[in-house]
Amino acid sequence: MGSLVLEALAKRYGTSVAVQRVDLDVRQGEMVALLGPSGCGKTTTQRMVAGFVAPSAGRVLIGGVDVTQAPPHGRDTGMVFQSYALFPHMTVAANVAFGLEMRRVGRAERDTRVREALRMVRLDGLEDRLPRQLSGGQQQRVALARALVVNPAVFLLDEPLSNLDAKLRGEVRLEIRALQQRLGLTTLIVTHDQEEALTMADRLVVMDRGKVRQVGTAEELYERPANPFVAGFVGQCNLVEGAMEGTGMFRAASGALLPCAATPVPPGRHVLALRPERIEVTPAADGSARLRTATYLGPLTEYHLDLDGTPLLAIRPTPTAGEPLRRLSSGDAVTVSWDASAARLLSAAQPEELEP
Amino acid sequence: MAALVLPAGLLVALLLVAPMVLLFRISLNEYSPTEMMREATTAANYLRAVGDPYYRSILLTTLTVSMGSTLLTLGLGFPTAYWLARMESRWKSFATIVVMFPLLVGNVVRAAGWLALLGNGGAINSSLMGLGLIASPLPLIYNTGAVVLGIVAVVLPYMILTLSAVIESIPRQVEEAASNLGAPSWTVFRRVVLPLALPGVAAGSVLVFVLCMNTYASAVLLGGPRFKMMAPAIYDQFVRGNNWPFGAALAFILLTITLVLTILGSAALGRRYRRPKEELS
Repeated sequence: MGSLVLEALAKRYGTSVAVQRVDLDVRQGEMVALLGPSGCGKTTTQRMVAGFVAPSAGRVLIGGVDVTQAPPHGRDTGMVFQSYALFPHMTVAANVAFGLEMRRVGRAERDTRVREALRMVRLDGLEDRLPRQLSGGQQQRVALARALVVNPAVFLLDEPLSNLDAKLRGEVRLEIRALQQRLGLTTLIVTHDQEEALTMADRLVVMDRGKVRQVGTAEELYERPANPFVAGFVGQCNLVEGAMEGTGMFRAASGALLPCAATPVPPGRHVLALRPERIEVTPAADGSARLRTATYLGPLTEYHLDLDGTPLLAIRPTPTAGEPLRRLSSGDAVTVSWDASAARLLSAAQPEELEP
Repeated sequence: MAALVLPAGLLVALLLVAPMVLLFRISLNEYSPTEMMREATTAANYLRAVGDPYYRSILLTTLTVSMGSTLLTLGLGFPTAYWLARMESRWKSFATIVVMFPLLVGNVVRAAGWLALLGNGGAINSSLMGLGLIASPLPLIYNTGAVVLGIVAVVLPYMILTLSAVIESIPRQVEEAASNLGAPSWTVFRRVVLPLALPGVAAGSVLVFVLCMNTYASAVLLGGPRFKMMAPAIYDQFVRGNNWPFGAALAFILLTITLVLTILGSAALGRRYRRPKEELS
């Protein structure tokens, strides 16, 4: 068991940069998610922690010990691979026993621990099966048991749910989280699925093109995104380019005026970030916005609106049959409003462009 | 669909099965110096081949050279095949062509090349003598070592290509999982790569062993007049001795031994592969 520290970790392949710089401190027992679109460097970062990729710069510390130069087999990390990577020629029990064998755990203790690990993931009774005789969900639980049975200092999950069907995914997500908390595992999970990251991790690291865009809890990232990328990647968000015009008003590039309470105004070009659920929609013949389409999603309805040339998305609870909002159809005029403090003003420039 | 196999099936029947049946019939005939052979049904040719110490030693040489060459090829081929299979750069197809390149050079041409390099008047001996390091040529040629060298050079590409196809089908993550669980590289190889590559080891070894058993050019050109393997011995009986029945018997003995060893070998490897390994070292 231990903490995981990444110090100025970077990876370059020739002239192309896979990871520009990652600094991260994962506390003992904490679960941190590396979140970002494909090619953002999250997988490379995790592989540097596991020791499969040699960093170009920086250090990896596990439990306070520098393991940057250590080979994968000397790092005491337990990894669950996206493809599960079970040993196809070994039984379930032999798969789970492998790590204990490598650690020279005696036969009796090994058998006990394998049995316990399989019970923990509810696979008792399948010890003698081969991986190909198991369902995808069962294979994934074998992979979990195999990684956890050795009590790794750091638990690594690489897109662990991407090969499961949607129904199973929700269950396994909760199961993994419960296991991780019960065992107090220091965990680094890689995912491109924001819902997965938001529901499982204590903190999230949002990455884009080899750079860390923001680190924080799910709430921090959602309520106070540091830049337009994070605002758009974590949850849905209206991002409107333009500039502040006087106090309390934002002039969109299209000409529309949007209320915004941001003060003081930072220098440079700006993007207004407004969560769709913060926008109120009211039918009004003299309204300045028009409804383009309304999409019924059961409990919620999405309203795609146009405010003087600026497209806006609003998400409201689906109105009951009697409400006037229910009778709205495409092309109708509406008024839109929101609490001016709900609109966040973000710098349009990427952070590194502001650095000298 | 079955009809599409017909032309190939007919071709095999015509070009392989028919001559084999004919050859087997000949092997039961009697040799006659005057009329070449006499119609008969006798096992005499087989009994002579098995009973004569000279032919027994030829068979033994063929077997030991073939097994030795196969093992050596496997040992040399596996690391190269692994390297080729795991190669990710754009040079991969180039490396594959380099591995295949020796196949473009015929066996005789290649053996002649070895002669020019290793022979008594060859490049190595003449330069060493020219430098005054040795007084008389080193016996680099006309021995078993030279034959094995020649054979390995011929069959190595077959082994590498067969193995690397199988190794490529082993997901790299499976190896990574093993090292993540604490296995050093050698253990990853022994416990994961090798067991999963066994079908390739079996296929490659069978292919190479069959080629070795039927070696002709390397044996004649690099082994010299006193070195004998089965294929040249059969040629001698048919062409020089004009003893077709005995040559046919030798050919059938070679065929049968190759077949039996091949089947036994792949069955042993196949069984090992199918049974999941549970015993722990």
